[in-house]
Amino acid sequence: MIGEPWAKESKQYAVLRSNALNFASAELAPVADDLENTVDSPLLWKAVERAGEMGMLAALVPEQLGGEGVDLYSLCVALEESAVECAGFAAALLFHNAALLSMGYVERKDLVEEFTKGRPLCTVATAGEVSLGEGRLQGRAPFVFNVLEGTVALLFASSGDGRTAAYVRTGTEGVETHIDPYPLGWRVSNFATLEMKGAEPVYVLDKSGKEALEATERTLYLGLAAIANGIVRKSFQKAYDYARQRYQAGKIIIEHQAMRLMLARMLCAMEEGRAIIRRACGIEELGPAVIAWRGAVANSYGAHRDAVQIHGGYGYMRDYGMERLMRDAKYCQMFPRPEEEQLLRLLDMAERGA
Amino acid sequence: MIGQELSETGKRLFRDFPILRMLWESGRKRGIRETIDIVEKAEEFNRTFAVPRALELDMRMEREPEYFDWEIMREACKYRFLSIFIPKQLGGIAGEFMVTNTSLLMDELCSGCSGIALAVGAHSLGVAPVITSGAMAHWDTVLKEIVEGELKRQPVTMAYAITEPSAGTDVEEPEYLERAKLSLEAKKVKGGYVLNGRKCFISDGSEAKYFTVCAALDRNRPLQTWTTFLVERDMEGFSTPRVELKMGQRASHAAELLFEDVFVPDSHVLGYEGDGMGNGILMIMAASRGPVGSIATGIARGALQHFLAWARTKRNGKRPIDEDRIRMNLADMWGMVQENRGLYMNNAMLGDAIFGKALDNPIMNLTLGLPSSLRTMSLMRNFLNSYYGKAMINAVLRYYLRDEDMTQLLETASLAKFSCADNAMELCSRALNLMGPEDSEERRWVEKCYRDAKLTQIYEGTNQLNRLVVNNIRFEETLRVEVPRPFKKGVMA
Ligand SMILES: Cc1cc2nc3c(=O)[nH]c(=O)nc-3n(C[C@H](O)[C@H](O)[C@H](O)COP(=O)(O)OP(=O)(O)OC[C@H]3O[C@@H](n4cnc5c(N)ncnc54)[C@H](O)[C@@H]3O)c2cc1C
Repeated sequence: MIGEPWAKESKQYAVLRSNALNFASAELAPVADDLENTVDSPLLWKAVERAGEMGMLAALVPEQLGGEGVDLYSLCVALEESAVECAGFAAALLFHNAALLSMGYVERKDLVEEFTKGRPLCTVATAGEVSLGEGRLQGRAPFVFNVLEGTVALLFASSGDGRTAAYVRTGTEGVETHIDPYPLGWRVSNFATLEMKGAEPVYVLDKSGKEALEATERTLYLGLAAIANGIVRKSFQKAYDYARQRYQAGKIIIEHQAMRLMLARMLCAMEEGRAIIRRACGIEELGPAVIAWRGAVANSYGAHRDAVQIHGGYGYMRDYGMERLMRDAKYCQMFPRPEEEQLLRLLDMAERGA
Repeated sequence: MIGQELSETGKRLFRDFPILRMLWESGRKRGIRETIDIVEKAEEFNRTFAVPRALELDMRMEREPEYFDWEIMREACKYRFLSIFIPKQLGGIAGEFMVTNTSLLMDELCSGCSGIALAVGAHSLGVAPVITSGAMAHWDTVLKEIVEGELKRQPVTMAYAITEPSAGTDVEEPEYLERAKLSLEAKKVKGGYVLNGRKCFISDGSEAKYFTVCAALDRNRPLQTWTTFLVERDMEGFSTPRVELKMGQRASHAAELLFEDVFVPDSHVLGYEGDGMGNGILMIMAASRGPVGSIATGIARGALQHFLAWARTKRNGKRPIDEDRIRMNLADMWGMVQENRGLYMNNAMLGDAIFGKALDNPIMNLTLGLPSSLRTMSLMRNFLNSYYGKAMINAVLRYYLRDEDMTQLLETASLAKFSCADNAMELCSRALNLMGPEDSEERRWVEKCYRDAKLTQIYEGTNQLNRLVVNNIRFEETLRVEVPRPFKKGVMA
């Protein structure tokens, strides 16, 4: 079918993909606009419940700790398919799964159990400046999604002796939540800055947490790449359909080369995205994950921008479903870290042989 | 020397636009002073009015897309932005450098909030055809009403309506119009026309009192019968049933216009029957696509200012601007802004060279110098609306507007439009990538700029269409603006 990458996957992933796609079409497509307009909507929790039944809520956590123990590519498959219909939902799932993965690493079975139930989801904060001293957290962590009372966030904090990390629970003493009412994209879940004023962490991931953090970060990069790829696919589908029915200049617009080239670039983006994600999932290192993210989100930027363009004025209007893709996709590129910072870090890692 | 006479704004403009300094030094001080004055007003408008409310208003429009903040128009009246296109002889403020002033005004306003700026600017787009068509019979009524309303701070506004649900690109280019699927049709009846159909995405459409509307008299021969009408909101059968929820530039509405047996009298034809493309759209696009380039530039500049503020603020103990990569990105961004300004100023300067003469010449001055009571006498009005009256005014205007000039103007306009829009998108996107996950106010602004910028690639003809226009004029010479001549066969009814 046009709009599906040529590269074939093994049966295991193909089945998973088809299940995830069915989930997205049945549970997300009909409610995606409502999810965008109402934070913490009951519709969201219904979809989360269904995602839980499909094993998407603790996908990466080993079975012995109560998770599904699937590999990272499987999660990416589920995220990509979810993002085709609702990137915000996919992002919520990603942050939740990334945080839960770290809880598995540090064997916090209690937290895993608590957050496999659904509301609230847990989350990850990668930006800002948070310090840990004398067992207390200070500072700000911006750009945190999935925030509700009782959410546990994994903070990548910095302390006196370098980078460390801790879990913090919202709604507890010393943790202030500043909700951003108006984020650009990923509107499905609450978007907030967490301000720590002497908060007591739920748990501190000391040096033993290093592995957990790397795994979490790797999950974030590849998950975001997968979401970006889902957006490319949706962009292509919608733009291709529209281009075949819109007449302008005496022909359907898909007959104009400018439109065909945009669509062809989207095909390339989809194929490349799928391939680089697959490849990076097979390498247990952070570097390839960063590279995959970089490629996939840049492709996705071009794709959704062009898909809006193909729709002309209609692309700019909320009712025609294109502009959400453009807003959601941008956050895949801005998170978890600014691209150039990440590039510099990549070279550092390569130099260290990491 | 210059420094002592100039305000800070003037100095900034001379630094950013050396061409203005050159004009000043070569004796065009009066005109350039007006230019500086307008930009100063825009700065004040932004500082005291637009910027403090922009984010809040943008957010509110998402929840309440039907809401319109009339304060915008009232405040615009205070600065006389509603008559930027109206000649001084009629009480407006269009000076020696009308197109340049409009471009710089839009650049400045859009650096504050392009949604608010669009609400102000789209009105002038509606006014333009009343001027360029030489429809003098309406100059003393509609334009005067706008000016008087402005002075009383009771805004009377216009909108320009060409896009139809099935024809967007098609109505912007003669070759495509020939094959367009149109919705709106104007049937000739005794004493006027009856309009039926729809227009869509019309900026300021739900607020305007007057509309310049293009419609085919025969949908099977759109190009030959494309005609510009002046429509009034309270004409029976006219309504604006819907506004869109836009991704950006939200402070202004994009509205649907519905025509159900709307009777428009003969006197409300602007120009002649059948000259709606050459005399109408192409002339307007030649004058307005450059300012759309300046809208994009303003948005980009706004994003750059917020990015710079972000870069100068200490985070995690250091300022982003202390890093080389941020400094280099800033230089790149400034390069994009100045590249844009070069392009839209080419268009603006050429526009002023052309329109300046057409609107400021002995015959025009003499006619406009007559007491308006004389021009509004019914005898005179009937004459101005008649075949010979229109031909007379047209002859004067057209004496100065040559086909080659208008064609070149359209080329520079289209070039500015798509280049500026692409640069603006690139700049906003890059700024966001560099900021990354930040909870700063600046990030929110740049996100808004990013949403706003996308529109500049779409309206006033998509960037694809504008690229084709440049090619067709410059390399293939297949597109030429033909300014209708009075008494030219086949043009007049
Ligand atoms: C917010 C907003 C405000 C607006 N304000 C106004 C206004 O005040 N007045 C007004 O009259 N209009 C207004 N418009 C309409 C605007 O000018 C049109 O949206 C624009 O001209 C594009 O037309 P369309 O939306 O029908 O897209 P289409 O013409 O359907 O174009 C769809 C796609 O096909 C491409 N395409 C079409 N023909 C060709 C070709 N020959 N070769 C290559 N590609 C081609 C286009 O580039 C585009 O990517 C506004 C639009 C918006 C979104």
